[in-house]
Amino acid sequence: MIGFLSPWVLAGLPLAALPLVLHLIQRRDPPTIEFPAVRYLVQVTQEHQRRLRLRHWLLLLVRTIIIVALIVAAAGPSAPLRKAASHAPSALVLVLDDSPSSGVVVSGTPLINELRAAAARILGQATPSDALWLLTSDGVARRGSPEALARAVDSVQPTARRMDLGQALTLAGEVLRSDARPGGIVLLSDLQATALAPARVAVPLMVAHPSEPAPPNQGIISVEPGPQPWTPDGGTVTVRVAGDSTSPAPVSVSLADRPARQALVPSGGAGSFSMGPAVPGWWTLNAAKAPDELRADDDRSVLVRVAPVAQVSWNPAERYIDAAMEVLLASGRIRRGTEITLGTLGAGPSIVPPPEDPAALGALNRALERRGIGWRFGAPVATPAVSDSGALIGRVAITRRYALEPARASAAAGVVATAGGAPWVVRDGSVVLVGSRLDPAWTALPVGAGFMPFMDALVNRLARGQVATLQGAPGEAVLLPDLVTEVAQGERRWRVEGGAAFRPPQTGGYYLLAGRDTIGALAVSLDPRESLLAPAPESAVTGLWTGARLVSLADAAGAAFAGSGRASLQGPLLWLALALGLVEVGLASGIRRSS
Amino acid sequence: MSAPAKPARPRLDLLDPREAAQIAGLELLTEGVVEGFLAGLHRSPRRGFSVEFAEHRMYQPGDELRYVDWKLLGRKDRLYVKQYEEETNLRAMLVTDISRSMAWSGNPELVLSKLAYVQRLTAALALLLLRQRDATGLIAFDEAVRAVVPARARTSHWYQLLGVLGGLTPGLGTAAEPALRRVVDLLRRRGLVVFISDLLLDRDLALRALKFLRHRGHQVLVLHVMDPAELELGGPAEARFEDPETRAGVTLRPKDWAEAYRQTVQSVVSAWRRACRTSGIQYHHVTTDTPFGHALRRVVARPAGLA
Repeated sequence: MIGFLSPWVLAGLPLAALPLVLHLIQRRDPPTIEFPAVRYLVQVTQEHQRRLRLRHWLLLLVRTIIIVALIVAAAGPSAPLRKAASHAPSALVLVLDDSPSSGVVVSGTPLINELRAAAARILGQATPSDALWLLTSDGVARRGSPEALARAVDSVQPTARRMDLGQALTLAGEVLRSDARPGGIVLLSDLQATALAPARVAVPLMVAHPSEPAPPNQGIISVEPGPQPWTPDGGTVTVRVAGDSTSPAPVSVSLADRPARQALVPSGGAGSFSMGPAVPGWWTLNAAKAPDELRADDDRSVLVRVAPVAQVSWNPAERYIDAAMEVLLASGRIRRGTEITLGTLGAGPSIVPPPEDPAALGALNRALERRGIGWRFGAPVATPAVSDSGALIGRVAITRRYALEPARASAAAGVVATAGGAPWVVRDGSVVLVGSRLDPAWTALPVGAGFMPFMDALVNRLARGQVATLQGAPGEAVLLPDLVTEVAQGERRWRVEGGAAFRPPQTGGYYLLAGRDTIGALAVSLDPRESLLAPAPESAVTGLWTGARLVSLADAAGAAFAGSGRASLQGPLLWLALALGLVEVGLASGIRRSS
Repeated sequence: MSAPAKPARPRLDLLDPREAAQIAGLELLTEGVVEGFLAGLHRSPRRGFSVEFAEHRMYQPGDELRYVDWKLLGRKDRLYVKQYEEETNLRAMLVTDISRSMAWSGNPELVLSKLAYVQRLTAALALLLLRQRDATGLIAFDEAVRAVVPARARTSHWYQLLGVLGGLTPGLGTAAEPALRRVVDLLRRRGLVVFISDLLLDRDLALRALKFLRHRGHQVLVLHVMDPAELELGGPAEARFEDPETRAGVTLRPKDWAEAYRQTVQSVVSAWRRACRTSGIQYHHVTTDTPFGHALRRVVARPAGLA
């Protein structure tokens, strides 16, 4: 594929029509002259006209080609070198797509094996003078000798991480910029349509893909356990299936080692499963379907918290709180009791909005201090703000609030939600402070659709110390709640800072710890887009990545270094223009001579 | 001391045709041309004809020495030359082309049209012939025969010819063959046929007719009249050149074709000359900027052609 250093110069290509336009303009309406000796002219022109007309057209063509050659030469064209047997020292980034979809079995062989073999063949063509990098879904460009990278390729296995091909190519291009050698990128991928994304690729790009079509596939793309915690009576889980196949998939859902519930779930649809009673605690909920060519998406797990419903006491005079609690009471999500006090500071776990009477604020702050709570209500703030979107609450307008201030410098942790960047819901010990009264005069939350889930989470999870149940994908950043200090999966532990992003390395359940308390869980599953194996059409690839050259995996080795080495076409084009200029002079003088 | 020289009258035969035409009308111009031509000829234009001595006149520089009367020189010690008066029974027919192409001039402000030039030249030639007592007739043609004046030898016949010539208007096409065949009917005896045309006609047909006349024993003289602008191709960068007779046209760049055109015209003239010479026909190429006297001199300079 021919590339250009200054492609904008090609906008001048219409100038190539100049000779033709001038020719047509000059031909238009010539004056008529009466001339008796026309028969002599006819006699002259009959002898030479055909040859002259041919020469005139040749002259026109030559002039047009000269202009085209000069304009194209000015655009700085370059073409890939075709010789692959020996190549000049080159820089090459090998992007190996080891996303979950690379584990699909095609004709009895995992696709990753073909990708690895193609990568090994390419590395076999490399020489020690080449600069080589291997880039996989972990986003790390490893540089090494051909032998070292060949060993690295051997150990590559399908990972749980999705590979955004656009990001990978952009990263590869940035890596290549660090090397002065003429470079190129070779992407070895199944070219899933869902993995394509725009990329800034300023170097030659070769895309090697399987020549065989992708097999039809179905996968479980989501498992939704609904509102948590579940009561000991059980709960309902929704399982969604998607993929290239249209037949319904038999799905079984099990809670830990309990007997599984089975049902047929239509492809592209969802199925609901009612799970039986369970004792309080964290449970692994697993959904699985019959295996097919891509095993990675045949099962999916989430973590479910089972706990008795909260026993809440509240002030019925608080209109909106009372209404919400009555709804939760009616739906069995809470019971009346004294476990949690809502609206005022009680003896046990409490959810405390600011008092209606500002004069009572001082007494409340003193009571909080006596309880050892590290937060207090500060000055009123009348500046309208919007709550920051997060796991607990979406974006909600907040008209009035009290500033929540740490009572001690060391007690700044525990922010659950913010408004305009300032703490708005905080938790310390067994007390949750809310910066605004739950009233439309203070915030739009009570009249919004998110009010009931917010109140449910407030009393059933937040007041009990459970902050969040999160979901994520391997390698994708998950924003951890403020209180989390450690993430645990089995025996593995990751020390984290509350409020920071955490990238889970693999699928499975992760527990979010605050000291010794488990305050939440993170369920990490495959990106649902990995279940759609349909490859992108070539036109989409070349349209998205301009100049990309598509080859089959079998041809990748022969074309890899041919694509990375490019030769400038400026010289040949200028020589062509010069030669054509001489031809033009010859033709023009020949025409005059012969006429 | 010699008497002071009279102011010289302009020699109309030597003037530029356009300029001469502005000085006098057809009649006076023709007479002036012939007078001037004869005055400058200094010898009989009909050498070889049966001639009789007419008179002596004073020798003028340029006269051929063989006409000097040496006996008179011995008697009077002055140089005289002998002048002869010819006797002839020649019958001449002037065949004149008046087609549309003859009405064309490349530069009307400086050059007479071919028709205007031919009218004056034909009149002068007729007067010249009539003064030699040759019976002279006229046929004018375009795509058909337009005017026929039988040959007469009376001096007053010239005025009849002049009237016909003056009234000629350009026709459309050119068809010389009928006109030349008409000559056969009009010239029963052997005579002189002067064919005056721009020769933009069917060459083969015209040549066949001219050869036929030659075969009948007539002396045939072809005057090929061309406008100077027909010798060289000029004009704007690109133009459509259109034949005034057929309206056929060709579009070209004169600059590209000028040289080829010039060579083609030369080859056409050469071909006519060669074809005429092969058939015993006199051929003269005359351009319309040639003074009438020069044109007449060419006609009479080859007496064998008129013999």
